[in-house]
Amino acid sequence: MTSTPLADRIGTGAPEPDSKAPPPARAGRHRALMPASIVLYVALIAIAVIYVLPFLINVVTAFKTEPDATANPLALPVNWTTAAFHTLFTNSDFPTWVKNSFIVAVFVTAGRVFFDSLAGYALARLDFRGRNVVFALLVAVMAVPSVVLMIPKFLVLNQFGMYDSYAGMIIPLLVDAAGVFIMKNFFESIPRSVEEQASIDGAGTFRVFWSIVLPMARPALVTIIILSFQGSWNELPHFIISTQSPGLTTLTKGVASLASGQLSSGNQYPIKLAAAAIMTIPVAVLFFVFQKRIMNSSDGAVKE
Amino acid sequence: MAGRKRPPRRQGAAGWLFVSPTIVVLGLFLLVPVLMALWVSFSDWSGVGSPLSSGVKFVGTKNYQQLLSGGSLAETNFGTSLRNNAWYVVFVVPIQTAVALLLAVLVNRQVLRGRGFFRTAFYFPSVTSSVAITVLWLFLFSTTGAVNKALSFIGVHGPNWFNDPDGIVHLALRLFGVDRGPAALTGHTALGVSWWDWFAGPSVAMSAFIMMAVFTTSGTFMLLFIAALQNLSSEVQEAAMMDGANGWQRFWRITLPQLRPTLFTVLTLGLIGTWQVFDQIYTGTRGAPDNTTVTPSYLSYTTAFGSQQWGQGAAIAFILFVIIVVLTLVQRSVLRERAVSKRRMRLYDPARLTGAAATTAKETSR
Amino acid sequence: MQRRTHRLLAAGALTAVAALGLTACGSGFSSGDGAGSGSSAAALTSSDDPLSILIGSSGSHETKAVSSAVADWSKSSGTKATVTAASDLTQQLSQGFASGKPADVFYVSTDQLAGYAKNGSLLAYGDQLKNKSDFFPTLVKSFTVDGTFYCAPKDFSTLGLIINEKMWKEAGFTDSDVPTTWDQLKTVAAKLTTSDHVGLALSPQYARVGAFMAEAGGSFTNADGTKATVDSNANLQGLEYVQGLLKSGDAKFSSDLGTGWGGESFGKGQAAMTVEGNWITGALSADYPDISYKVAEMPAGPSGQGTLQFTNCWGIAKDSPNQKAALDLVEKLTSTDQQLTFAKDFGVMPSVKSAADTWKTDNPDLAPFLDSASFAEGVPNQAGSADVVAAFDSKMSGLKTADAKALLATTQKQFAAVLSQ
Repeated sequence: MTSTPLADRIGTGAPEPDSKAPPPARAGRHRALMPASIVLYVALIAIAVIYVLPFLINVVTAFKTEPDATANPLALPVNWTTAAFHTLFTNSDFPTWVKNSFIVAVFVTAGRVFFDSLAGYALARLDFRGRNVVFALLVAVMAVPSVVLMIPKFLVLNQFGMYDSYAGMIIPLLVDAAGVFIMKNFFESIPRSVEEQASIDGAGTFRVFWSIVLPMARPALVTIIILSFQGSWNELPHFIISTQSPGLTTLTKGVASLASGQLSSGNQYPIKLAAAAIMTIPVAVLFFVFQKRIMNSSDGAVKE
Repeated sequence: MAGRKRPPRRQGAAGWLFVSPTIVVLGLFLLVPVLMALWVSFSDWSGVGSPLSSGVKFVGTKNYQQLLSGGSLAETNFGTSLRNNAWYVVFVVPIQTAVALLLAVLVNRQVLRGRGFFRTAFYFPSVTSSVAITVLWLFLFSTTGAVNKALSFIGVHGPNWFNDPDGIVHLALRLFGVDRGPAALTGHTALGVSWWDWFAGPSVAMSAFIMMAVFTTSGTFMLLFIAALQNLSSEVQEAAMMDGANGWQRFWRITLPQLRPTLFTVLTLGLIGTWQVFDQIYTGTRGAPDNTTVTPSYLSYTTAFGSQQWGQGAAIAFILFVIIVVLTLVQRSVLRERAVSKRRMRLYDPARLTGAAATTAKETSR
Repeated sequence: MQRRTHRLLAAGALTAVAALGLTACGSGFSSGDGAGSGSSAAALTSSDDPLSILIGSSGSHETKAVSSAVADWSKSSGTKATVTAASDLTQQLSQGFASGKPADVFYVSTDQLAGYAKNGSLLAYGDQLKNKSDFFPTLVKSFTVDGTFYCAPKDFSTLGLIINEKMWKEAGFTDSDVPTTWDQLKTVAAKLTTSDHVGLALSPQYARVGAFMAEAGGSFTNADGTKATVDSNANLQGLEYVQGLLKSGDAKFSSDLGTGWGGESFGKGQAAMTVEGNWITGALSADYPDISYKVAEMPAGPSGQGTLQFTNCWGIAKDSPNQKAALDLVEKLTSTDQQLTFAKDFGVMPSVKSAADTWKTDNPDLAPFLDSASFAEGVPNQAGSADVVAAFDSKMSGLKTADAKALLATTQKQFAAVLSQ
């Protein structure tokens, strides 16, 4: 695989080895129910419980009352109540946060899909002077840890007058170098002949890109969509430093303030956990929809 | 690319046009900010108006000096944050790598029932937001929370997790009756923190964050290992089986050495990510208890946005940057020492590495 | 091929570094466009811009009360105004100041005042207040930096001893048993400690523990705030008293009870007594209405009675385009009537003398808070003191097993460093 670019693997949706497991393997399954195998299953199930249980507790606690949550953290609710959700949606800025998170995630995802593929295509296919410099710069840029950028990004947004606006929240996230890389690698993996054919026919570079190459890139684009949506939905530091108005608060920032808001608001676990559960839903949906693709390709996305 | 024809003229223009949005955005929001912050870290800007205005003065390395010497509060806080984060790294990186490898090996069996389920279960924490997970963790590890409740079933009285500032090394020593450090350690300080305190280990509160990091990142790295495992040559394995090597020996002598490139990637990503802990501290403890969960990135943020010491905050960020770069280089040279096959050499390609780093650094920083 | 790419990469990286260096020299220093405007405004700015008010609210009751007061003002003045409860006031204020669009009117705590005054973020409007002479002089002093009266005290609070009536009676105590000395406090705390609740709960911070230092005659600085006196014997005595209560198990920090602050521990019935300010009354009636409690003055220590006093002011931003309206709003918010309304809504004490008597008549149960004003001490307000207090607070949760003397020595060093700057 190391020599196979990620893109063809995404493209073909490389079948999982087990899905074509030959009959002998099935026969082996019976043999496998030996003590060693049982130990393996017990271990796996135990670990799986550790990984899954926290999320179940999260959801269940969201339907509890505050005293119940504190007194019986592991039990099912004594009385199921939706009070926490009710408070969130009718008595807080939660709906605004949800709206903002969606706005940002949608724009960022759209922007990245377009700009990343555009740049990736240029770096993979178009021979232009300075291409290697651009490429090297991209590499250099990726080496800068994001956390170093908190203060500086605030300063720049301020200087440009974009502080505390949707523009300031969205534009800096519109392109990501890693995404450009993924697209570049994908484009390098598809045969040139198709475009050459089109070029001879006299189509412009953008036309070739837009109507011939891009449609072929669907698998890689899905990867970009997943990574971008998840990335911008879960982003916190950038929104802390780019906004101050409550009207521009995103879910991450809002829920973080819920979590640390102490004083008389008390622990309020059901409300916080209800918020945490709701904000997990979109990425969870995305995850389950594209599950197979993520499982098969995110290694490639990371490595390439 | 060597044998290719010279590009047609128009491709040049199109090429630049295509990459220009990327260059503009990355330039304006990565390159320019870094330069501006570099200037602020050498200036006395107090947080009002533009840092580029004429009233702001160049103060040399004063901001850096205050962090690294002089015995001020700033130095102590910075030293403490480095201590906290170093322990976090020391625990998280090996544990998450080991857990990820273990999960990958367990799940990678050809004849495993419910393989998809297990993979999904292990990977799911990786896709959720660090804020949501932190909120959940605060509940699970609260004084009367689920974890302590579960511990009480087996007769253990759980600690007061997020409120317990005791270092776990200190706690372990206390079991042996060592309550105070030797004068040689308590009497001398580095970065305003006594040597005894440097060796405190992560606080109990930080340990909860360490578990959280393992919980949320092991899935991502598990996928990397699964991919690598699926590409191992089965011939060598079979040959080894013929030689009578048992599973354990085969894993150590054959599988693991072949996984070295992936191991290297995982360790590098882990190292870069764990030095940037911010989200969970901001959401969860805000540095409490006793400053034992303050990390350099969080300190940089509060120093600038909270205490109005913008120069110092920027300086912390740059020192952190240097630490990450240096450690990555050190790690690379250590792991690279032994001869590597030419084929595998490609995996050390810096371009690949940094690319990978950027993609998952974000991920793994939680 | 492989090697070539490497070399190209290296070359590219070098170019990048060089470019970085060049631009650093080229742009960084020159383009000084001076966004830091509005530095000296003798006359107040005035415009039709709406006002934004940023408050560090203690809870929904405070937010509601301020919002409705501001709405009333909006209606009568015709200037639009919105109230925002900050999730992190300090951070939001500093981002606002740095961005040049801060909130127009906002809470400023005593410990932040000097910093904001120094970097020119605040409008010093104190002397233009119509009701200037009505404020308590000690409060005016808290908001005066280098002889300039910056902002109008919003209200103030003192710390008192809050006692759960039910638990008090269950322990067989009557009103005459209310502790007036440290020894008595220790005795009642011990008696009030049962398997269900602890005798005394308090938040692990200077703003509570400091009251005991004051009772021992200690303070973080000398009277005029020019010298650090943290490592005094009096402070040690106060700290060790609290440590003793923690060690004997008669007192616990709220953090050890799993709550965010003393009031929450008290409200949840985890503690029979707590040390809190008058803000607790609003919080208790909102979140724990079933608790019946009484308020007592803090007991006297070796050097007599002592407690801490807290206050915020209504800051007005120098960058505000509508300072005139902002001043008008502040005058309305600090008026006698309005302050009495606030007092009713969220349990603060009016900062103006003209409201004191009415307040006492309205709140006979809370009179100990106002009576404490005569011996209350302010908290440090020097620039940088907030960081030192924060560092001190970070040590508090571990006080039970800490070396109190070493702790004070560290803080002394830090405070002295701050004052010498």
